[in-house]
Amino acid sequence: MLHRRIYQFFIIYFLGVGLLLALKYGLSLSDYVIPSPGEIWRTGRTYAGPYLLAVLNTLAVAVLGHIVSICLATMVAILGRLTAWVGSFIRTAAFNIQAYPIVAVAPIIFILLGDGLASRLLIAAMICYFPLLLSFIGVFSEPVREIEHFFESTGRMTWRLQVKIRAFENIQKLTTVIVGSATMAMVGTIVAEFIAATAGIGYSIRIALYQSDLAKILVALFLIGIGTSLYLVSLEWIGNALQARLKRT
Amino acid sequence: MQLEGRHISFRYPNASGEVFSDLHFRIAGAGFHALFGPSGVGKTTLAKMLTGAIRGFEGEIVENGVRRVLYTYNLERLPGWSNVRAHFEEIAPSAGRSRMDELIETFGMEASITARFHRLSLGQQNRANLIRYLLQDFELLIMDESLANVDELTREKIILKVKAMFPDRSFLYISHNVAEVAKFCSQVLVLRSPAKAPQVVSVQGRDHREGAAPDPGMLERAMLEIVHAA
Repeated sequence: MLHRRIYQFFIIYFLGVGLLLALKYGLSLSDYVIPSPGEIWRTGRTYAGPYLLAVLNTLAVAVLGHIVSICLATMVAILGRLTAWVGSFIRTAAFNIQAYPIVAVAPIIFILLGDGLASRLLIAAMICYFPLLLSFIGVFSEPVREIEHFFESTGRMTWRLQVKIRAFENIQKLTTVIVGSATMAMVGTIVAEFIAATAGIGYSIRIALYQSDLAKILVALFLIGIGTSLYLVSLEWIGNALQARLKRT
Repeated sequence: MQLEGRHISFRYPNASGEVFSDLHFRIAGAGFHALFGPSGVGKTTLAKMLTGAIRGFEGEIVENGVRRVLYTYNLERLPGWSNVRAHFEEIAPSAGRSRMDELIETFGMEASITARFHRLSLGQQNRANLIRYLLQDFELLIMDESLANVDELTREKIILKVKAMFPDRSFLYISHNVAEVAKFCSQVLVLRSPAKAPQVVSVQGRDHREGAAPDPGMLERAMLEIVHAA
């Protein structure tokens, strides 16, 4: 699983770098616009250490924001399944709110909360929260009639049991949504750091942009890709282990 | 136990035609009764009316001595997080627990009782589902194709055993098998299309029980009556 994700990332990354180099040599662009392979390599050796720490910093915030989103989406979806009206209201509200681009809302958050951890965390959580919420509401509001019928007709149904049945029956869907939203959490954190934060790899990319140093940006992108792949693989592994455990005979 | 439907008329919302038009029926006494009729005639709809799952129809259903009606159908599933025995132990009331092993044996489920539900064949799944309902407290159990995909011999064994084990309970058996309902049920309600009057015809079945050989002539006659009524 890990090697597959890493291979896929390497293919995309090196295709992108290859395209840039093809442009550089095809259009005879200077090293100032697109650095040479040697320059990229030297930058990588110099900045791999600090950039790796910055990626880990970003990853930690993204993971935390992702966990907050999952917990919040689960709670709201469980509440949303209580009545059709509440579920419908939450779904409509989530659709409307997620229509706003997070980069447009982010400055408000930075003005109110400053450029520290809280803003990064909130933006990371917000960017993956609404897709999670919509999926979770869908899962928890949809009855699994062929299982729930017995418990309802014998008076045994509780909200906990209902949630358990629906979560169990849709575990694969929930896992896929959680893994999919992990990338968004990482993207949200980087966007937040890029806009106004003072830490993380997004902040490093902003500094590199001010310096017009494409080599640094390429090194940062490489490490972001590796970090994100490791996080996605970890989530997939947890999801698969959970499914295997639940379905073991 | 007595169950009587009076002047029942019903149409599903946005449906063009009525499912029931001035329908009357009466079921009385414990034992096996049947609801028989072609597909789409309204057997499941009537069963859901009896359980209270469908309301808002014209007419009334009068229940006498029926405190609890349960309805089970053949597509139900057990939760997948535990094996069949663990589920039975969890849902069986203390009064029904003593019967659990007897039912498991009668239903031929000993070998598969520790498996998860999704690992069972369709016939085993239907049997497992029926066992858990039989462990519950009820006066009337409506069995909607509950023994589908179960072989004929096992089905016969199960029905006879259930009749012997629960002599004071009532069962409404929904089936398309004319020989089966004629042989095992005491009262067969033949449900017909709303164009026919009356919409329900009651036929006396042979109510075959353990230890008694059914009279082939009488059985054939009951079958013919059911087919003619349908």
